[in-house]
Amino acid sequence: MSIYKSAVNKPITTLMVFTAVVVMGLYSYVNLPVDLYPEIDPPFISVMTTYSGASAADIETNITKRLEDALNSVDKLKEVTSTSSDNLSVITLEFQWGANLDEATNDVRDVIDRIYDYMPEDVDRPTIFKFNTTMMPIVFYAITAKESYPGLEKLLDEKIINPLNRIDGVGSVSMIGAPHRVVYVEADPRRLDAYNLTIEQIGSMIAAENLNMPSGNVKMGYMDYSLRVQGELAESRQLEDLVVGNFNGTPVYLRDVAEVRDSLKDLSLEERINGQTGLRLFVMKQSGANTMKVAREVNKNLELLKKDLPPDVEISLIMDTSTFIRGAIQNLSETLMWAFIFVVLVILLFLGRWRATLIIVLTIPISLIVSFIYLFISGHSINVISLTSLSIAIGMVVDDAIVVLENITRHIERGSSPREAAIYATNEVWLAVIITTLVVVAVFFPLTLVGGLTGIMFNQLGWIVTITIVTSTLAAITITPMLSARLLKLRPTKEKPGRISHSRLILPLLDKLDDFYVASLRFALKRKRLILLLALALFISSFGLMRYIGTDFLPESDESSMSVAIELQTGTRVEETIKTTRKLERLLQERYPEIEIMASSSGADDEGSMFSLFRGTGSNIINFMMRLQHVEERQRSVWEIADDLRAQLATYPEIVTATVSTSTGGMGMGGSNTVDIEVYGYDFDQTNRVAEQIRKKLADVKGATDITVSRKNDKPELQVVLDKEKMALHGLNSATVSTMLRNRISGLITSQFKEEGDEYDIRIRLEESYRNSISDLEEITVVNPMGKKIKLREIARVEEYWGPPSIQHKRKERVVTIAVRPQATSLGELAANVQAVVDEVDIPQEVLVQIGGAYEDQQESFMDLGLLMLLSLILVFIVMASQFESFTMPFIIMFSIPFAFTGVILALFLTGTTLSIIAGLGAVLLIGIVVKNGIVLVDFTNLIRDRGLKLNEAIIAAGRSRLRPVLMTALTTILGMLPLALSQGEGAEIWRPMGITVIGGLVFSTIVTMIIVPVMYGLLARTGERDKVMKLRRKFSHLD
Amino acid sequence: MKAVMIIFNQAHTERVDYILDSLQIKGYSSWEEVKGRGSATGEPRMGTHTWPEMNSSVLSVIEDTLVTPLLEKLSRLDQVNSEIGLRAFVWNVEQSI
Repeated sequence: MSIYKSAVNKPITTLMVFTAVVVMGLYSYVNLPVDLYPEIDPPFISVMTTYSGASAADIETNITKRLEDALNSVDKLKEVTSTSSDNLSVITLEFQWGANLDEATNDVRDVIDRIYDYMPEDVDRPTIFKFNTTMMPIVFYAITAKESYPGLEKLLDEKIINPLNRIDGVGSVSMIGAPHRVVYVEADPRRLDAYNLTIEQIGSMIAAENLNMPSGNVKMGYMDYSLRVQGELAESRQLEDLVVGNFNGTPVYLRDVAEVRDSLKDLSLEERINGQTGLRLFVMKQSGANTMKVAREVNKNLELLKKDLPPDVEISLIMDTSTFIRGAIQNLSETLMWAFIFVVLVILLFLGRWRATLIIVLTIPISLIVSFIYLFISGHSINVISLTSLSIAIGMVVDDAIVVLENITRHIERGSSPREAAIYATNEVWLAVIITTLVVVAVFFPLTLVGGLTGIMFNQLGWIVTITIVTSTLAAITITPMLSARLLKLRPTKEKPGRISHSRLILPLLDKLDDFYVASLRFALKRKRLILLLALALFISSFGLMRYIGTDFLPESDESSMSVAIELQTGTRVEETIKTTRKLERLLQERYPEIEIMASSSGADDEGSMFSLFRGTGSNIINFMMRLQHVEERQRSVWEIADDLRAQLATYPEIVTATVSTSTGGMGMGGSNTVDIEVYGYDFDQTNRVAEQIRKKLADVKGATDITVSRKNDKPELQVVLDKEKMALHGLNSATVSTMLRNRISGLITSQFKEEGDEYDIRIRLEESYRNSISDLEEITVVNPMGKKIKLREIARVEEYWGPPSIQHKRKERVVTIAVRPQATSLGELAANVQAVVDEVDIPQEVLVQIGGAYEDQQESFMDLGLLMLLSLILVFIVMASQFESFTMPFIIMFSIPFAFTGVILALFLTGTTLSIIAGLGAVLLIGIVVKNGIVLVDFTNLIRDRGLKLNEAIIAAGRSRLRPVLMTALTTILGMLPLALSQGEGAEIWRPMGITVIGGLVFSTIVTMIIVPVMYGLLARTGERDKVMKLRRKFSHLD
Repeated sequence: MKAVMIIFNQAHTERVDYILDSLQIKGYSSWEEVKGRGSATGEPRMGTHTWPEMNSSVLSVIEDTLVTPLLEKLSRLDQVNSEIGLRAFVWNVEQSI
């Protein structure tokens, strides 16, 4: 028994099967995580190696180069980049998308094991670090405090961070710019010399005094006591009373030679929130956790935890990636709802019957819900891509049901019982329905095979559309006939239809449309060649417009947040940097009322937190993070504000470079939208010169902003040049001298001060006034093994020196990257301009200049898209050729595809949209939809010819009868996309191009298809059918 | 005894069954999915893409008295919408076992 017959005969079973599917779908929906984009595991592995005391150049030759050479052999490696800076080498390995990173990590580890023995002795074992999008913080809070500021670190750690860490899904919670408590012991070098003491002696005395020591057990009578020596300091002030030495028989107390300060650590990084002292707290989620849920839980818990904090501590949200996601998802869900409503309206308009509309519309939720089951099983999330896929599918899933229902209605109207009509009418069309579905699948399935970054986005779309379309076909041949058998009945045509009835108002209009179409079709069929030439001319001239359409990688979106990275002259001390920060804060507050909250950090956290891996830090660096008002609440877009800010920043002479960036989300998705110019070459001076030339010329290029050069200016250093001979004379060596210097300047930590379970460093060093000039440095006393005091100037010179702070490599060669961001222009155009600039520059032979960055990704993605389109076309051709058992018919149908692209180009041109991957994707989708229309038309023309009509009559009859179904499917898809194209809210910029392309392409190609396909049919299929009859006649002529 | 061959669009199956039952005609043979085309107006029923519909047929041997009421009822069914298609042919049964 056939599937549709069983479905009609067993309505309860059918209903239950679909109920089961819907229930499972809803279960999956509830459990699906919500995210902005599909989870991306960027194929990056970093190898970090520390080699204390080595300069950037040493690191480059001894560590980076060797590791790079060895790692180059790892499988599936795409590119190696590295940065060698003082003490640290970071190598980033980029693998091909889709490579198994676990395997790659093992390979990398093997390589490191092999080479480790050949590296310098003091090198720490390299650490392998796998980057993941989930490591990016999901929520940022600004915390300000007045009186409680000094104790804020401990307070937050206990009251906020620990409870938050316990929330399910929270990976870690960290602070930036928290004030650390340190006990400083600052010695006066002259007094030290006078009392014959050294920093090291003081250090060992403090370490020796500040300790608790278990000293064994003592048995007394019945008891067993454990004996302890309790020497630990209970208060930091007790340090002052420590006896550190003896002079002329009197004890020397610590207070005699040094000052004890129980205080906050010296300023190297200053955090301000809206200009107030404070710090930033950020939360990272665990891999695979639901961003929205974690952020919601964190926010909720924080509200409760706030109550335990002192009243002067205030917590406010700076950035919550989940709000953007929530906004975007909500927006898209609304879009989906509107699409649904439009589709229902279109069906109702054409059919004019409530029950029929209900039956068709029911396939929408069923098919869409099934895609949730797919998402759940495959471990994906609900995101922009999956929801967009659903909006694309929504107009297509009803097509099959419409065809089936139409045939059933025809049977019922002829007088069959609904039950039988349902069975036999479905029997007549089910094969045709499956074949049109196959065509759509032929277009979408290749999407699941695309690799690379593009693939991550398109695979999901391919699967979702394929699954929903297949489900909709299944539903169309089971639940649609089943419900038709139950719900439809023969409706007598009313003698006098009501005044506002469907048959009075809409049918005449539709009939008029039919007549108009037939008239124009007749006109066209009489002038086939002229029409064809016109169409070709239109197609070719549309490519002329192509020049005016820019290309982009991914459209940027207004996420209501901005960040600014400012670099002052290298070597600027943090106190000076802070002055600039204050100025800028005032500017921002006055000029941009849109800013709701602003966090600034000046300088660098010398602890080197994980966060500093992602940003440049240094005492001359200022970072701003700002949250703006909601998109709807402000007049200026984030780009307008950013442009204005760039112009403002350019007026400050102290600012060397400033980068204003407007994207926070979409991390890893080519988050930077830049054209990179890579200058390869070994010689620093040469490459610097070329880079500088390019940079200067770029400044004049229209649309080029945020020009940044990756190689930082040489930074000033003070070098202590030791005289080996003199050192040897005093029995000293470089190691002892450098350690002693370090103890005096940076400080010696030999012991910790304990209070309430927390430990604070006791840092012993010279007082600042004795170590802030070159002559002070030269006055520093070092002690030789014989106890003789020697001034540094006796054995060394202190020299000023300029050194490169870091050396970057790409593909194992030294490189300088100049990154340019497009402003009011497209990426493709900018890349062309940049290329022109590069061509002008006189480049020495040893230097190689290349263009890369997001532009490179864009080129790769377009390449992928092109291949994809080709694959789709071939598959569609295969399906159609076998369906029609002809090579002509697919050709006739595919002739309409170019006009879809003409429509796309027109739509992009008229709306001023750039051609991004998203728009390109829209173009690929069009192939499926356009071809489907063509098939419907050609198939029916064939059928009518088979039934004995003449060519032209058959074409016209088929056109007349298929006009409504084609218009209906086209309208459902167009209106389904309309909300996408018009949406204005958060994240709309991402998918608007898709809506625009599909609508433009579809409107244009539907009109053209309905004329061009019949015309082509008239031209090409003229003899085909007639020949068949003639052939048959010849074969059996002997019978006549 | 007369043999009545009824050839009808599949869509009439239930009604034909009902007519046979209502006249208490118990015995018949039937063939489903029968191809055919009408001599004058009838559309071809080929089960192909061009002519997707199919017929069914019933051959029943009945008492002479039942022939007229049966044909009457069938003709009434056909008149509801002759496009669907229903034909009945009667011939004599010479012998049977």
